[in-house]
Amino acid sequence: MISIKELKHYYTDADGKEVKALDGIDLDIKKGEFVAIIGANGSGKSTLARHLNALLLPTAGTCTVGGLDTMEESNMWDIRQQVGMVFQNPDNQIVAAIVEEDVAFGPENIGVPNEEIRPRVERALAAVGMSDYAKHAPHLLSGGQKQRVAIAGLMALEPQCIVLDEPTAMLDPQGRKEIVATVKSLNQDKGITIVYITHYMTEALAADRVVVMEKGHIRFMGTPKEVFCRVDELEKLGLEAPLAAKVASELRKSGIKLPKDIITDEELAQALCP
Amino acid sequence: MLSEITLGQYFPGNSFVHRLDPRTKILATLIYIVAIFLADSPLAYGLLIAFAALVIGVSRLPVGMVLKSLKPIWIIIIITMLIHMFTAPGENIIFAWKFFKVTEEGLILGTKMALRLVLLLLFSSVLTFTTSPIVLTDGIEKLLRPFKCIGVPAHELAMMMTIALRFIPTLLEETDRIMKAQTARGADFSSGNLLERAKNMLPLLVPLFVSAFRRAEELAIAMESRCYRGGEGRTRMHELAYKGIDHTAFAAVLVLVFSLVALRWGAGLCAL
Amino acid sequence: MSIKLANVFYTYMTGTPFERQALNDVSLTIAKGEILAIIGHTGSGKSTLVQHLNGLIKPLRGKVTINDIDIAGRGSEAKAARQQVGMVFQYPEHQIFAETVYDDIAFGPRNRGFSAEEVDKQVREAMSFVGLDFETFAERSPFQLSGGQMRRVAIAGVVAMNPDYLVLDEPSAGLDPRSRNAVFKEIMALHKERGIAIVLVTHSMEEAAKYAHRMIVINKGKILFDGKPADIFSNHKDELIAVGMDEPPIYKLSVTLRAKGLEIAAGITDVGELVKNIKKVKGWR
Repeated sequence: MISIKELKHYYTDADGKEVKALDGIDLDIKKGEFVAIIGANGSGKSTLARHLNALLLPTAGTCTVGGLDTMEESNMWDIRQQVGMVFQNPDNQIVAAIVEEDVAFGPENIGVPNEEIRPRVERALAAVGMSDYAKHAPHLLSGGQKQRVAIAGLMALEPQCIVLDEPTAMLDPQGRKEIVATVKSLNQDKGITIVYITHYMTEALAADRVVVMEKGHIRFMGTPKEVFCRVDELEKLGLEAPLAAKVASELRKSGIKLPKDIITDEELAQALCP
Repeated sequence: MLSEITLGQYFPGNSFVHRLDPRTKILATLIYIVAIFLADSPLAYGLLIAFAALVIGVSRLPVGMVLKSLKPIWIIIIITMLIHMFTAPGENIIFAWKFFKVTEEGLILGTKMALRLVLLLLFSSVLTFTTSPIVLTDGIEKLLRPFKCIGVPAHELAMMMTIALRFIPTLLEETDRIMKAQTARGADFSSGNLLERAKNMLPLLVPLFVSAFRRAEELAIAMESRCYRGGEGRTRMHELAYKGIDHTAFAAVLVLVFSLVALRWGAGLCAL
Repeated sequence: MSIKLANVFYTYMTGTPFERQALNDVSLTIAKGEILAIIGHTGSGKSTLVQHLNGLIKPLRGKVTINDIDIAGRGSEAKAARQQVGMVFQYPEHQIFAETVYDDIAFGPRNRGFSAEEVDKQVREAMSFVGLDFETFAERSPFQLSGGQMRRVAIAGVVAMNPDYLVLDEPSAGLDPRSRNAVFKEIMALHKERGIAIVLVTHSMEEAAKYAHRMIVINKGKILFDGKPADIFSNHKDELIAVGMDEPPIYKLSVTLRAKGLEIAAGITDVGELVKNIKKVKGWR
């Protein structure tokens, strides 16, 4: 679905210094995969996300989406239709003052015939569980609901892939749960490829694969189990490991033999009291 | 306090007036406003008032709410009335004190002017009460489209209005939040002379502008991500179409205009 | 020395169809020097409650006093009492306005009428509390700093007013784990060195369990529980879950281990302590 080869993105900051936001990224994302990208602020994860729908273009290397090179200007709108993007602030991505009008914005932009728009809007709202709010004003919704409306706005474009750039950073725990559940169901029921950027480790546990970034590089990646048992490395990168993994790692350090891949409470309990 | 202003608010419903095409309502309102200035006899004013009453009745809006829309500007109405009352030239003095005098002609002119203003406001508020802002924007865009060839950016104007409508409540909330935060830091927004007050507003205005620009930038990126590239080749979920009721409404407005024309120039035309 | 709320009621948009009761007979005493966490889901009334603490919202019924002075008054005594409460709102970096970091932090102290020397002293101290080097940052534009640094400037702006009570509404929202920990370390240092009371509004059970001496749980405008976090989390788990709260991860882990027959002590909030406890119970050294 998405193929990134030796991707570099450099820019010059306000002080005239060259910043290497991405410095050689190789990453392949398969169709239907759920990939989480984690990293501290400034690790380059948002910059990487913005390459996936041609909002940013590589300084060097390539990024291809469904076989289309993002550098090719004529591919831009096809790519943006295939790869939707959800941003951090739920308020700043909703255009219209009524939910269904906002969801219709995307299909209207790509010239979907008038009679096909409404069914698309209804399907998109149903997919995120917001059908009951079609006529509501977005500013009266909760943060989690707004973010779901934003996702519906992308679903109405019938994309292959949705990229979410810290979608829960501004939400309360309830909203966070809503978004993770919505994203999981889109991935499992509709086969949408998901690229999920976050610094909440608990949310990354839902992914098939976790990619860990630092200073414009991919440091390591693997299944959540493979990544989250590397407690010390994560902490060095300013990230958190699950509590059970932390406790297991501390116990191992004092010479106690435990399996290497403990990340959940149950696994730890099982290892301690077999 | 802001919630008390009813002017410009939408009141959902399903009446005859609610169901009209927005273009019909906009054009009818414009024609009515022109018609107001055709009236010059008590009978003509009576006709205008009756028509306005009919429209409000058919729209099934609460009358009190419609009248409340005059509240923010009643002072302008009274000043208009007074200025005309005192300044109009006339012979038949009703009341005089020092160099103030009120003449019969002035009283009539003042009343006429105030009445015109009231009718104008009432009729336009029926437009906004019965039309959701989004539909209104659609109507304006459609009406302006023919003028695109002379450089009227119809789509861009409509898009700007749509976004403004969406963000006004958000920015009001934000203003409230920043004001509270700065008040907690000892800011004072209400005392001092004009210059001091303007300076005291900086801790409110700077963050508000910074935030508005940030929002604008993020929104622009989000819109681009959703394939927005201007009005070219766009379709709409609601395509506007004139229906039977629109023809009825146009007919009613035309009857009104013809009656007013007849009242004003009818006698002259007959004499010819 | 305390803030007292006595039978406070508050309703938004009274007399309209949008009327919503936010506080329903709330009484509460916040003592000087304590760390109080306030938890509750969005819309439970906790933001309304904390805005009563420095008079930003005035109770419809009931009274708020600081050291026995009613803060609703217009006099200078009431004003001085209100200024003893510093308030750090959610995303406080959104209130930054001045051209330099120094001027922004000095805004509050200047409004309090401090002398130029006093302002300077407070700004320097506040910057050192939040870990911003004076020489490096004082003359920089706050708008060119990173998100975490801007958050620190905003917090310093409130700390520099030298309050006796500091209210923080989700001070770690939107920060990555490293900045989250740093901000809390600074707040705890402030509490320790100046002895000021901390009122922490949070959605994170972990933060409440880890940092607070006392915790209140708000639901539908009423105080549901008031007590030690350890007691509330251990004894009222089901009620907490019923009102949309949760237990901290470390409690959950302890419960799971106990269910497996490992006699872990109750109320542990620290990873190191838990590890020690596991070793003790298992007879490991």
